[in-house]
Amino acid sequence: MRYEFNWGMLTQPPYSEWIIDGVLTTFHLALICWVLALTLGIMIGVCRVSNSRILRFWGTAYVEVFRNIPLLVQLFIWLFVIPQLLPEDFSSWWNRLDAVPYWTAVVGISFYTSSRIAEQIRSAIMAIPQGQFKAALSTGLTPFQMYRYVIMPYALRIIIPAITSEFLTVFKNTSLALTIGVMEITGTTRKIEAWSFRGIEAYAVASLTYVLTTLLVIAFMTWLEKKYYIPGLIKRDTGHH
Amino acid sequence: MTQPIIDIKQVSLAFDKFKALDGVSLSVNKGQCIVICGPSGSGKSSLLRCINGLEPFQSGDIWVDGVGVRGCKNLPALRLSVGMVFQHFELYPHMTVLENLTLAPIKAKGMNPSEAKKLAMHYLDRVGISNQADKFPARLSGGQQQRAAIARSLTLEPKAMLFDEPTSALDPELIAEVLQVMRDLAKDGMTMLVVTHEMGFAREVADEIVFMDHGQIIEQAPVTTFFGAPRTERAKDFLQKILSKI
Amino acid sequence: MDWAVVTANAPLLIKGLITSLKLAAVAIALSFPLGCLVAIGRLSHRAWLSKLCGGFVNVLRSNPLILILFWFYFLMPILIGKSINDLTSILCAFVIFFGAYFAEIIRSGIQSVGHRQIQAGLSSGLSYRQTMQHIVLPQAIRAMLPALTTQCILVLQGTTVAYVVGYDELLHTTAMIAERTGRPTEMYLAVALIYFLICYGGSLVSRKFEKGQGQ
Repeated sequence: MRYEFNWGMLTQPPYSEWIIDGVLTTFHLALICWVLALTLGIMIGVCRVSNSRILRFWGTAYVEVFRNIPLLVQLFIWLFVIPQLLPEDFSSWWNRLDAVPYWTAVVGISFYTSSRIAEQIRSAIMAIPQGQFKAALSTGLTPFQMYRYVIMPYALRIIIPAITSEFLTVFKNTSLALTIGVMEITGTTRKIEAWSFRGIEAYAVASLTYVLTTLLVIAFMTWLEKKYYIPGLIKRDTGHH
Repeated sequence: MTQPIIDIKQVSLAFDKFKALDGVSLSVNKGQCIVICGPSGSGKSSLLRCINGLEPFQSGDIWVDGVGVRGCKNLPALRLSVGMVFQHFELYPHMTVLENLTLAPIKAKGMNPSEAKKLAMHYLDRVGISNQADKFPARLSGGQQQRAAIARSLTLEPKAMLFDEPTSALDPELIAEVLQVMRDLAKDGMTMLVVTHEMGFAREVADEIVFMDHGQIIEQAPVTTFFGAPRTERAKDFLQKILSKI
Repeated sequence: MDWAVVTANAPLLIKGLITSLKLAAVAIALSFPLGCLVAIGRLSHRAWLSKLCGGFVNVLRSNPLILILFWFYFLMPILIGKSINDLTSILCAFVIFFGAYFAEIIRSGIQSVGHRQIQAGLSSGLSYRQTMQHIVLPQAIRAMLPALTTQCILVLQGTTVAYVVGYDELLHTTAMIAERTGRPTEMYLAVALIYFLICYGGSLVSRKFEKGQGQ
């Protein structure tokens, strides 16, 4: 294998600046999308379990549409299609925004992720045994007290692992934004590879970003779970998402 | 004097810091039926699992029909001489009863499938459920499942049988049919080592009782002696608790 | 909107769809066995093997698919010493990436069967391999079918990533047509519908497997 390593180049401009920008972009893109997805996802998730048939129908439709179309296709639709379909005024305002690709990515990734979070919220709510509600009420607690002291602690312990690992999924999905011109870390390292032909060094930086972040988030999640652990409350499933 | 079918000498087993077995020695001769009893966690089940090499013990040794377990290079072959019956039956749910019985004879013993089938049907008949042969385990009652599990071990024609609390997971009205099968086996001269709380069975069928606690054999005596005049305090105590329930 | 564009280019779209389906099918056919091996390795009693397989799974699941694709696309010609077929690099990336995901599903499927079934098999004289083959895996696969189906759908969705290296799967084909005809709206909506129908159909199959579990 003939390859000349040159790790030093990563520490020099312009590459070092690109890398820092890339990493920062990845992080703030992921965080914004995650927060938006959470907000939207909780609302849709509650719709999915509501007593109203109409709400349930639209909630289900939302989830099925966003999770059965590949994320990349969704990004392209947000980039090429939606601006055409919107009223003139909005389109021209949107197109004059700084960093249209970035905000397109935010919209695209947020909607996709919100459908996944909606599903997790739904599973969490349905995982709480009916008996808990009945037992709490029968001891004289008001509905509010029941949610505050019995249901929410239970639900949070189910939801938090799921939502934290959803952050990792969003973090990885930001990489797709490179296809619409966002310079997050994967796109940046691809550019570095194109300029310098030192692909191993470049991609190693990207991989390191993802792996380190994953390790940190999982460590945080483990710490959080240990701190609030109740023996026998929830059987943790080490399954996939 | 013929050698014992199962010879356990000074076996110790530890999981991390927990000592499950501490210097246990026991001999089981051909045709004997020995019942092991004792409180939970006393090491009874662990001892059974050491005998057929499912649990790797750290010191001492066990000889099964003359073959040492500890250094054994061919455990699958050794396991053909001693059958095991589990508390939760452990029939394979994705196979019919007949397939459950013929799997090991065909794959482990290299038997001809039609021969294996004949042998399996013979033992299914012996335990009284030959009409369930083509059903899936989920369709059988607990008692039928356990009888099928016993037949599964018998089809390998072992020299001895190990029973790990065979009736503990059964509804009370289903226990009798399984105990009857075990009684018949003992009468026919099968060498048996049975971990159980069923003292009625023990009194009737067993030759010797072994009482274990905290990984050690506290008392070992012929049946009449054990029930009539137990020597140790712990054994007396245990007997009192168990028998007061009946 | 002028939907005639879609119908006019239908043959090309179908060709792209078939390419995507073929890519997904080959990727699944190769990554599933890899996943089985890695899962069994992960459950092995040999610590080094268990850690190696565990490390493999964790590293691959921490990286995005597109980055793994870039790794292979860049590295394979260097490692092999000559420039190779695009498809080979893409397939290698997919197989290794999805192999890790299948390994996780298979591992938890095997663990759901329970160690007592393994003990029952071993105590009747079967070797470890025979026990795995005849007793554990058949039960595990039955339990895993819903998750495996979902993962296969994810593989199909993953084929769109091959777009970035110019492979002519469905999304790339659509993008080319959209650019050529100047009608992105109709084309992308059409392709979204195609993916939706296939993936939604797949999820219905997966749900059917899940219902079949309650025996």
